[in-house]
Amino acid sequence: MRDPYTQVTLDNGLRVVIEQMPDVRSAAAGFLVDTGARDETAPQAGVSHFLEHMMFKGTSKRHWRDITKDFDNLGSTYNAYTSEDRTIYYGWVRQTDLDAQIEILADMMTSTLPEEEFNMERNVVLEEIAMGKDQIEHVAFDFLQEKVFEGHPLAWPILGYESTVQALTRDQMWAYFQKRYAPDNMMLVVAGNIDPDEVIKSIHRHCGHWKPSGTTSSRVPPKMHSGTDVLPLDRFRQQIVAITVPAAPAGGVEAEIATAVATILGGENSRFFWNIVQTGISPRAGAFHYEYSDGGMILLYGSCQPDNCEKLHDAMRQEARRMSDEGVEEHEVQRVRNRRRTSLAIEAEVPYHRLTQLMDDMQYRAQPRTVETMLAEVDQITVDSVRDYLNKFPLSVAGHLVSVGPRHWPSSD
Amino acid sequence: MTDFLHDQLPCGIEYAVCPLPRRQIICFQLRVLAGMTTEPADKLGLVNIIGETIDKGTEKQSGQALADALDAMGASSGIGAGRETMTFSSTFLPEHFDRVVELHAEFLRTPTFPQDVLDVSLDLVKQELSTLEDDANGLTEKMISPLAFGPILGRHPLGEVATLDAITRQDLINHWEKHFQAGNMLLSVAGAIEPQRVSDVFEKYFSSFGSPAKQGRDIIPLAFTPQVAHRDKELEQQQIAICWPGVDARHKDFPVQQVMLGILSGGMSSRLFTEVREKQGLVYWVSAWQETPRGCGMIFLGASTTPERCEKTYNTLIHEVDRLADDLQQEELERTITGILASQETRGDSTRARCHELASDLFFHGHPISPDEKAEKISNVTISDIQRYLSTYPRDKKCVVTLGPKALQHCMATSKTGGTIK
Repeated sequence: MRDPYTQVTLDNGLRVVIEQMPDVRSAAAGFLVDTGARDETAPQAGVSHFLEHMMFKGTSKRHWRDITKDFDNLGSTYNAYTSEDRTIYYGWVRQTDLDAQIEILADMMTSTLPEEEFNMERNVVLEEIAMGKDQIEHVAFDFLQEKVFEGHPLAWPILGYESTVQALTRDQMWAYFQKRYAPDNMMLVVAGNIDPDEVIKSIHRHCGHWKPSGTTSSRVPPKMHSGTDVLPLDRFRQQIVAITVPAAPAGGVEAEIATAVATILGGENSRFFWNIVQTGISPRAGAFHYEYSDGGMILLYGSCQPDNCEKLHDAMRQEARRMSDEGVEEHEVQRVRNRRRTSLAIEAEVPYHRLTQLMDDMQYRAQPRTVETMLAEVDQITVDSVRDYLNKFPLSVAGHLVSVGPRHWPSSD
Repeated sequence: MTDFLHDQLPCGIEYAVCPLPRRQIICFQLRVLAGMTTEPADKLGLVNIIGETIDKGTEKQSGQALADALDAMGASSGIGAGRETMTFSSTFLPEHFDRVVELHAEFLRTPTFPQDVLDVSLDLVKQELSTLEDDANGLTEKMISPLAFGPILGRHPLGEVATLDAITRQDLINHWEKHFQAGNMLLSVAGAIEPQRVSDVFEKYFSSFGSPAKQGRDIIPLAFTPQVAHRDKELEQQQIAICWPGVDARHKDFPVQQVMLGILSGGMSSRLFTEVREKQGLVYWVSAWQETPRGCGMIFLGASTTPERCEKTYNTLIHEVDRLADDLQQEELERTITGILASQETRGDSTRARCHELASDLFFHGHPISPDEKAEKISNVTISDIQRYLSTYPRDKKCVVTLGPKALQHCMATSKTGGTIK
């Protein structure tokens, strides 16, 4: 099968990956900046996310009003988001508008971070932080990260703390921006029914003059802590019970197996669904694989009435232990493989979805994967390979237990 | 130009197919015209419970065996309990079409509604009702819906504890017998399939499924109650929701309404995002949207903000709608229209989006509408259309709902029907 990918690296270090999708009418483009919450210092927690907001606020060429107007003049579906280890800016447009879309995104990457917009946007970020405090799942996840990764930058919330966002100056943000937003720390990914040669010309035109910063990664692999932590919050009705155990990092077959393990344990039609939800213990219980380039965890997560904490906790532990001890069954593995086939077929018809997958592949595997390659990896998931994985990353370890809600459970006495 | 097939099967199912031969998947959506509006008043929550239990056991197999059978084909399926319909959808690879339809027919036609499954579902829904208190957005929606739409269209899917307590297994069976009939179903299919195969397979599995006569198409009248309401709650942010009547999806002014909403809340250059968030930093989230049951429409504005910014946010929201008729620019109108048309085109790459669009057309219009026809109507909207719309459908009677630590002083003072819910 013909390789649908074109990859080039500009002289300034900007990596470019293009996927041709001959059967679609749209195209998507996005910059992945290799920076996120884990690249921040504690006093500047939240700078990556705040900066992502500021990137929409103006360049030497465009006032902020012109940035959003120009996106909207293309009818683009566009946005940006920040995670622990990346910041992404993307736009999804009609294929004929791709060059204009790349030009706007590229111009945004040269933001002037206008001083006059800084305080106003700070208010928006503070409102976003306030909104998160009203959502128990958000509070619980931040608390979990803080405790599991205590002492490591993965412990700070992506939005930062109210105090750090309040204290951040525009000069501090500018210094961070100069260091992190350079072509040798970025990647441009494009997918759609496009001519790669034309796209590369366009990229040279819009990004070829950028100067590299020579920045190098100072990321330290995280260490996950075990223990138990409780965050009593009277104003919520439900209790969140979450257990984290170490899992495979991103990239490679082990990551696929970790995701399969989480799916069999706590995805749709899973063991959690039939043995926890459908027995009335909890309306929501699931398992999720979180992955970073140098670490990973499986999260067992449920919400329940406060007096059901013990039942929920014990049931999640029991299912995890059973899987660790007895492994999985052939039909469960087969289901994962079949579902993945369908999801890949769905993903393959929408350039925006392919963009997201390509960014994952490039960040964690340094190369794009065709649908066929991904299916071949999924086919390597077998009952035996899952058993080997569970021997290496057992689900039956104590891990870290977090409880958030009105009940002080488990109590310390 | 896309070719559609629209017809009625001998069994009574009205169906539409959008063949997309180059696609790798098939998506279908089967809507049963038996949404929350069909619940008996003393059994609120019944439709959601049917959605939770209908696939949890058939005359042939258990719910888990059924789920495993669908999973064995990698089918991504879902059930939704809506205001006017229950939706059964599935996306899968083409080779599984026959079997996926067969399994859906099995649980739609021969559900057993096991008592133990019902007991658990009722218990879980009561837990969800309790935890709805932790969902500020969901609570605000629950407050404003009955005011916006009235006691029938404004029902909440979860029902109430008292009405859930009254639901029995026999209620589920009665409701299913009454409403789950082929003449009460709308089917939409998009993807790599020939229309003839759709009709052959669905007729094979749904023939003689109740009455083939068209049913369930009555329109429920809107019962709008303009009111100001506030509920005190310990929250970081105040939730604000405002609504007033608009037009329904079949109305000639519907495209004008769509464009007006785009101007208010389409992209990041839209009025609300620009004026409320970007210029004043009052909010992170602000939006305008519509909800259109058959025969009526409602315009909503929503935002969440810290209590000290609440009055200013509310005033800005109202001001932005009020001034729209005075200073709308041609460039702004064209940008909004481009946004709607481009979005329609880019989403057209998704088979699921095409299927959903087809299902909406069948439900609201009774037939598929080509993307070109929709695009033409949107493209023809002018500034004077927007101005006429704004003067024809006044906003002097509104619902304003707030949830949080502080009531809106101005609204409470001027409203004759305002009240605080403790």
